Amino acid sequence: MSQGVLLFCFDTEHTRYHKILEKCVHLIRRNIKLEITVITNYATFKKIKPLGFINYKFIEPELGNTKLGKEWNNVDRHLAYELSPYDTTLVMDIDYFCFTDNLLQYLDTGYDFLVPDQAYDLTDRDTFDERKWSMIPMVWATVFIFKKSEKSRKIFEMIKYVKKYYRYFNAMYRIYSSNLRNDYVFAIALQQLGGFVGYDKFPFALSTLPPDCEIVEMTDDGIAWTHNDQINFIEQQDVHVLNKEVADV
Amino acid sequence: MDIGSLKKQSDLSYDIAVAKRNALEKAHARQIIVYNEHIFRADPQTICLVRTLKETNDTFFVLDTNSNPVQITDPTGFLSKLIERNQETLNAYHQTQQTFTKKGA
Repeated sequence: MSQGVLLFCFDTEHTRYHKILEKCVHLIRRNIKLEITVITNYATFKKIKPLGFINYKFIEPELGNTKLGKEWNNVDRHLAYELSPYDTTLVMDIDYFCFTDNLLQYLDTGYDFLVPDQAYDLTDRDTFDERKWSMIPMVWATVFIFKKSEKSRKIFEMIKYVKKYYRYFNAMYRIYSSNLRNDYVFAIALQQLGGFVGYDKFPFALSTLPPDCEIVEMTDDGIAWTHNDQINFIEQQDVHVLNKEVADV
Repeated sequence: MDIGSLKKQSDLSYDIAVAKRNALEKAHARQIIVYNEHIFRADPQTICLVRTLKETNDTFFVLDTNSNPVQITDPTGFLSKLIERNQETLNAYHQTQQTFTKKGA
């Protein structure tokens, strides 16, 4: 049974995502130690420095989505099932940095599909209390694991359906943000397919640094940031970094 | 003591409180283990439950983190893994705590 990591990376006019990818790949190599497949386009691929053995698959990202008025090429996640060459796949945002091997063990569960539904704010502000932003508890599609199975295939079919009619679902669930967020697409699909009663989840919260945290240093062991004139750091803990200027650190 | 020193102590206390909260979250994330294709927390409740059931049963059922039942056929091995992971995380937390003490918490 093959296992691997699937990453999506597309540079935009404003953000050099390939620089974030390089950091992410380095940490996966160091801590997760699984084969990596990167879904990208040729324009981004040309800028990525040599990273050793990596499978690259080229697609043209679906355009049109934005975040804070800027281009945001994040709507191809529904293709993960078809694009993954692995029996069990760990899909991660490239701004999720693995400073531990915590995720590795989840590839050996009997679950077909696992996703976290909690985020933990490392700045102690509980910024990610998302419940008030929609009528549906959201999941964090930042990290998820799936097996190539009939159940997973159906989940991805449902994800595609929700994505296709997202404007309708967005209004029905009274989701505050109008742009397409994978977190909501996945949450809606899992809820609908799960008979509206629940689905299997990771039992941990994604440790996350909000966008207003400036990353000042990143090593192989951890990350340091400043916020409100305070400096803080964490080591040996996986961290989701929302400030894309981490590309320049 | 002047108000500046008191403010400095207050800032330090806050920084340490946040760092301590983060260290505890880190310990909780690390306390999760996969055993027999299911997910468990190596927390005091699970350890006590397994130890209690083990006293009178060679095999028994427990619930994983998604409330699915799992048959435990090797209670000694399972308990050993739970304790090992629990103590690994608390040891790391203890070391972090020591650094707070040095800072004057």
